[in-house]
Amino acid sequence: MASGITANDRIVFEDVSKFYGEILGVNRVNLSIPPGVTSLVGPNGSGKTTLMNLMTGLVRPSRGRIRVLGLDPTEPEKLFKVLGYSTQFDSFPKGLSGFQFVYSYLRLAGSDAQTAEQLAWSAIQRVNLTEAAHRNVAGYSKGMRQRIRLAQALCHNPKVLVLDEPMNGLDPLARAEMIALFRAAAADGCYVIISSHILHEVDALSDQVILLSNGYVVAEGTIHSVRDEIREHPAQILIRCDRPRDLASKMMESEYTIEVRIHNDEHGLLIKTKDADRFYLAMNHLALNGVEIESVAPADDDVNSVYEYLIGSDEVPR
Amino acid sequence: MNAKLWWAQIRAVIRLEMKKTFLARRGLWIYVLALLPLLMFILQAIVVTHQRENSDQIVTQGQKKLTSEDLHAVHPGMTTDEVVALLGKPPLHFQHHQRRHFNTGDGAAIPDVVIPHETYRYSDGFSTMQLDFEDGKVASITIGEGFSLPQESVVFAGVFQFFYLRLAIFFGCLGIFMNLFRGEILDKSLHFYFLAPIRRDVLMAGKFLAGLLATCIIFVTSELLQLMVFTWQFSPNARDIYLYQNHGLAQGAAYLGVTALACLGYGAFFLAAGMLFRNPIMPAAAILIWEAVNPFLPALLKKFSVIYYLKSLCPVDIPTPPGTPPLLALLVSNPDPVSTPVAVLGIVFVALLILYLSSFQVRRMEINYTTE
Repeated sequence: MASGITANDRIVFEDVSKFYGEILGVNRVNLSIPPGVTSLVGPNGSGKTTLMNLMTGLVRPSRGRIRVLGLDPTEPEKLFKVLGYSTQFDSFPKGLSGFQFVYSYLRLAGSDAQTAEQLAWSAIQRVNLTEAAHRNVAGYSKGMRQRIRLAQALCHNPKVLVLDEPMNGLDPLARAEMIALFRAAAADGCYVIISSHILHEVDALSDQVILLSNGYVVAEGTIHSVRDEIREHPAQILIRCDRPRDLASKMMESEYTIEVRIHNDEHGLLIKTKDADRFYLAMNHLALNGVEIESVAPADDDVNSVYEYLIGSDEVPR
Repeated sequence: MNAKLWWAQIRAVIRLEMKKTFLARRGLWIYVLALLPLLMFILQAIVVTHQRENSDQIVTQGQKKLTSEDLHAVHPGMTTDEVVALLGKPPLHFQHHQRRHFNTGDGAAIPDVVIPHETYRYSDGFSTMQLDFEDGKVASITIGEGFSLPQESVVFAGVFQFFYLRLAIFFGCLGIFMNLFRGEILDKSLHFYFLAPIRRDVLMAGKFLAGLLATCIIFVTSELLQLMVFTWQFSPNARDIYLYQNHGLAQGAAYLGVTALACLGYGAFFLAAGMLFRNPIMPAAAILIWEAVNPFLPALLKKFSVIYYLKSLCPVDIPTPPGTPPLLALLVSNPDPVSTPVAVLGIVFVALLILYLSSFQVRRMEINYTTE
């Protein structure tokens, strides 16, 4: 959790609450977000966008303090030199082309005309929108609007990228390109904060996740560590092998095994254990009687399962 | 270093805002407001020019060069010969006959009587007089006073003070300055600015200067055109006397300056209102009433209005003839005018004070379009 407001290399929320009148946005949030890709996951209304708006100063906390790499979000002149935010707001200043949208942003930041032009084209190329750059944004498709917002967020090469549903409206190819782009940014030491409804993409993309529900942070950390924290749901491990029934009887000897099920195809086992790490160790000591193990993999060590356990299957997005 | 950066950022904001302000479809009515007095003065110029041409034509064709006293010497009952003896042969002369039917009451037939009518027109080069003769005698005299620049400058002052200043510029500033923030919130595009590395107060200054530039271009240009149309309708001689001997140039410069200062003062008010209120009608009504009741306010409160200073800067006083209702007289007159430097500094001070207070508000603003 929060390691102190002096941490200049983290995005820190310290006991932050936000109320919109009587309505709760987020409540008592304590976070300390390291570099890498961090995904905010939660159903609609869980507080993902509020959290992003809070860290970018678009809304102010009702209580608590926020620091982004040591910067106060109420000082946009400092904050947005290191931060780019691609919002979900689907409206643009009137009459601007895609290029002008990015270029004007850079001029607002104080860049001279030549630098602004270079940076704008560079960002537009990164999101593959070069051909449509001189068209009016009002005529763009949803995916193109999404990409030009990304270009605006990326154009000044920020250290922190905050992206609210950045892959909405993108086709599969563009999604793959964006994931690669975000991963590359994270590899360069950037902080990439993403909210997404698409859990398998979150899985592929994220170094850590923050699970939100009804304005509360219900879990945070790497997916694996979050999964480990969920004690009330036993870990599930899928073992693919040639003689599952023989293996099942052996597995039941382990004190950590709770339940064993033979897979329908008769070529595997689904084991439920109360302590996966100890189970793996114990498994090494079991005599397997010549059973040929093809693979051993966690079956519920993903965002989808974690989400389902913590927030509930009713609200699993996709 | 900071000042250089801020100025670059302000120019970037102005570039973005100017395009929006000038080409906004919802701002077309502002052009109508600004150009309405110009249209009125163009129509007046057409009428005056036509009248002056008629008058010149009569003078050219007349036998004698007449004076105003000559024209006023004519009285009803004079015969045509007496009039011709006094004013010379009329340059324009029409005649017709009127057939009148008399009834004796006993049914006896009486032949209709034909009465000769004549119309003479004279001019002294300024006023035009029309004399209608009936049966050889002056029956009616109509003198059309010409338009004189000094007299018309009072009319110009009235249009300026009561329409242009209090309505056109007032509502024009409302339309432009309130939209600088409120319009962006309604369009859900304000976050574009709030996500840029620019201080909120620098952003506000940029937006304000963009609004000021836009309103000055629209209203000062219109005022300049009004002045040109107003003066150029008169003869070159009258125009030269007015401009160079009767302080016409100074008055024109004062009108332009007052227009710019009005944009500054009202602009500051409406920029602040656009950040504080969702509905522009309430603050507009409040400011309009505040400005209207200014003559009735205590001395201290008067100073926190724009019209108080603007009235002192207006170059031509509007006379209040005897019999003017007291309330109207109070609105028209300026019982305690302030000196020009005080008035100019007063407006600048009020505007800067409002902008300073607004800078706190803009720093507190949040993006929450759903509640708008």
